[in-house]
Amino acid sequence: MIRITRRAALAGAAAALAAPATIRAQSAPVKVGVILPTSGVLAVPGQASRRGIDLGARMIAEAGGPRMEVIHADTASRPENGRVAAERLIREGCTVLVGAWDSGTTISAAQAAEPARIPLVVNIASAPQITEQGFSMVFRNFTPANVLIRNAVERIREFGQITGELPRTAVLLHVNDTFGTSIAQAVSALWTQLGIPIQIVETLSYAVTARDLSAEVARAKAANPELLMPVTRVNDAILIVREMVRQDFVPKAIIGPGSPGPYEKAFTDAVGRFGDEYMVCVPWHNPRNPRTAEVLQRFAREYPNERFELNVGFSFEAMEIVADAIRRAGSGDPAALHAALRTTDIQDHIMYGGPIRFDEKGQNNNIGGVMLQNQNQEPKVVGPAEVAEARAIYPLTPFRNRR
Amino acid sequence: MRRGAIAVAAFSGLLALGPLVLDGYLLSLLALAFAFAFFGAAWNLMMGFAGMLSIGHGLYIGIGGYTVAVLLVTFGVSPWAGLPLAGLLCAGLGAAIAWTGFRFAVRGVYFALLTLAAAELARILFEHWPFVGGTGGFFLPALPPGNVPLLTLRGGPEFFYFAFLLLLTAALVLTLAIRHSRMGYRLMAIREDEDAARASGVPVLRMRIAAAALSGGMTGIGGGLFALMNGSLFPNTMMGVAISIEIMIAPIVGGLGTVFGPAIGALFVMPVHELSEHLAQEAGVFGLNTLIYGLLVLLVVLFLPAGIGPSVARLLRGRR
Repeated sequence: MIRITRRAALAGAAAALAAPATIRAQSAPVKVGVILPTSGVLAVPGQASRRGIDLGARMIAEAGGPRMEVIHADTASRPENGRVAAERLIREGCTVLVGAWDSGTTISAAQAAEPARIPLVVNIASAPQITEQGFSMVFRNFTPANVLIRNAVERIREFGQITGELPRTAVLLHVNDTFGTSIAQAVSALWTQLGIPIQIVETLSYAVTARDLSAEVARAKAANPELLMPVTRVNDAILIVREMVRQDFVPKAIIGPGSPGPYEKAFTDAVGRFGDEYMVCVPWHNPRNPRTAEVLQRFAREYPNERFELNVGFSFEAMEIVADAIRRAGSGDPAALHAALRTTDIQDHIMYGGPIRFDEKGQNNNIGGVMLQNQNQEPKVVGPAEVAEARAIYPLTPFRNRR
Repeated sequence: MRRGAIAVAAFSGLLALGPLVLDGYLLSLLALAFAFAFFGAAWNLMMGFAGMLSIGHGLYIGIGGYTVAVLLVTFGVSPWAGLPLAGLLCAGLGAAIAWTGFRFAVRGVYFALLTLAAAELARILFEHWPFVGGTGGFFLPALPPGNVPLLTLRGGPEFFYFAFLLLLTAALVLTLAIRHSRMGYRLMAIREDEDAARASGVPVLRMRIAAAALSGGMTGIGGGLFALMNGSLFPNTMMGVAISIEIMIAPIVGGLGTVFGPAIGALFVMPVHELSEHLAQEAGVFGLNTLIYGLLVLLVVLFLPAGIGPSVARLLRGRR
C-alpha cells in the first residue's frame, strides 16, 4: 500500500508548526482510505481519479491543512472487492473512506462502512439509488445520472442563446451498453418533459464491441440532422469522428449529452483537429475560479502527459471535503467526522456548481453541468455563460477545411 | 470415502474457528474465497465429473441473485424463501439447457457455446428489463441498526463467512457423496467416453440433466447469497462473461474433477490476488497485481496441469 508518508509527513509537520492550536493538538495524522479501480477494465478512469486524490492530498498538506495519511486499495474493477477493500482500510485504522468510482463497488464498500460507522465520501458513482438505500454514512459529491442528464439537456436548450439559433433536427446515436442505454432513455424522456424544440428524427445504437461504425454513421447521415448527439465512451467517439470525416458528414453541431469520451486525452490525441468543435455536456471544473487555475497549473507540472478532467477534479474535491471535515471536527474520530461532513458548507471549490452541502440522504444537490467544446484539441467550457471560458464555434467547420 | 469425510470435517471444522482469530477484513476476504470455492465446486460437478464444459455459469449466479433480490425488495419475501426458490429456478434452467444440448446433440465445445449463449441472452434481457432496473442496476436497502443476520440473511463479514463456509461444506459433502456413488461413476463414464457409456447402459440424458440441474441449482443459491453480500446487482457484473470465467479459475487451478480442487484453488487464488494487490500498491505500479495474478495462474496451469490439489497429493504419497 502506498502512503504519501515522507513528503506528506514533512509537509504536515511543517504545517502543524504554523497551524492553529486545534490542528496542532492532533497527535497522529488522520488515516484516509481510498478505494478505486486502478487496475482491470476501469483502470483508466480509476487511475485518473487516483491522480486527483494524490494531488489533493499534496496540495492540502502544503497549504497547512490537517495531517492526513492516504492509504490506497485497488478493487481490480470487481464490485465485490469494494467490501473487502473497505474492511481492510478500516482495519488499518482509516476513519474516513473515499471511493469508489463505480456504483456497484460503492454500494459494496458502503455495506462495510455502515456497521463500522465510518463515513464514505463518494468521489464518483452515478447510480441515483446510492443515496436512496438508507445508508447514513454515504456522502456523495457527484451528480446522480438523472440530474447529470437533466443538466446536459438544459445546456442543450440554452445553446440557442449562445449561438442565436438552435438546430431543428437531431439524431441520437448511442452505445448500447449499461450506461449508454440508460443515458439515451433519460435523454428521450427529458426531451419531451422539458419541451426541447429540437426534433429527434432517429435514435440509433451500436454494440459496445463494435470496431466499425460506418453503417451507423451512414444511417445518421442519411437522416440529415442538424445536430448529432452521440453518447459514447472514448474509443467509439474516435470511431465516429473518423467515420464522419471519411463520409464527409457535417451536421451543424455534435453534442454528446452526459457523454464521456471527447474530453479525454485519448480522444484529442487520436483525432486531433478533426475532434475540434465536438461538444459534450458534463459536470466539470469552473475555469473562472482562480483556485481552479492554480490546481490546473500544478497538475500540468506534475502530470505533464495527462489531462485534468472530471475524474481528477471530483477526486481532488473529495479530498478537500475530507480535509475540511477533519479541520472542523478537530480530530479523526469517525463520529466527529460524520457530524462535520453533515454540516459541510464549502463555498469556494473547483468544480462548477453551488456550495458543497449534503442533504439528509448524503447527496450534494448543488453540482452543475457545463457544455464543453474541444478547441485546439483542448476541452473548453462554452456554457453556461457565467463560467464560459470560450465562445462556442457554430456551425461545425467542415472537416475538409481543417487540414 | 471415509478419508474424504474426515478431510471435509477437518477442513470445515478448522475454518469454523476462523472468527475467533480473524478480523473483519480477513473474514470478508475468506467469505469471498468460500463463495468462489462454492461456485467452483458447483461448476466442477458439471465439468469435472460429467465433462460438460459450461462457460456460462454466470447465468445461474445472475438469475439466483436477481430472484432473491427482487423477491426481497419488490415483494418483501425473505431470502429464507428466496434462496431455495432461486435454487429451484436455476436447477430448472440447468436441466433445460442440458436437455436442449442433448436433444440437439450439441456436445463438447459446442455445448460450452450453448451455455455461453444462454448466459448472454439472459444478460441482454435483464439489461433491457425495467422491472429489474435494466442496465441501471438493482439495489438492496441498507441494513437497519439492530439487524438480525439469521433473520435477514444479510450481515457483516462474520455472517457471510459462516454462510458461505456452510454452503461450501455442503458442496464438499455432496461432491464427496456423488464421487463415490453410482451416479458419480456414471458421470465419469460419460466424461471419459459418452458413446461407450451409453453402450454400457448408462442413462446419459438423465445423468447429464441431473448434473446440470444440481450444478445450476447450487450456483443459483450461491448467487442469491452473493447478491445479498454485494448489495447491488448489475446484469453485466452478475451474469457477464467475466464472472463466468472467474469462477472456472479456482477449480482449474485447484484440480478439475476432484472433491477438494475448487476449495484449494479458491484458497490459493484469493490470497494471491490480495497479496499481489498489496505488492502493486507498495511498488506504485498500477496493474502489477493483475499481471502477477495472471502469471501465477499461468504457471500453475503450465506446470501443474492436474491442478494444485492432485499434485500436492501425489507429492505426499511419493514421500511416504
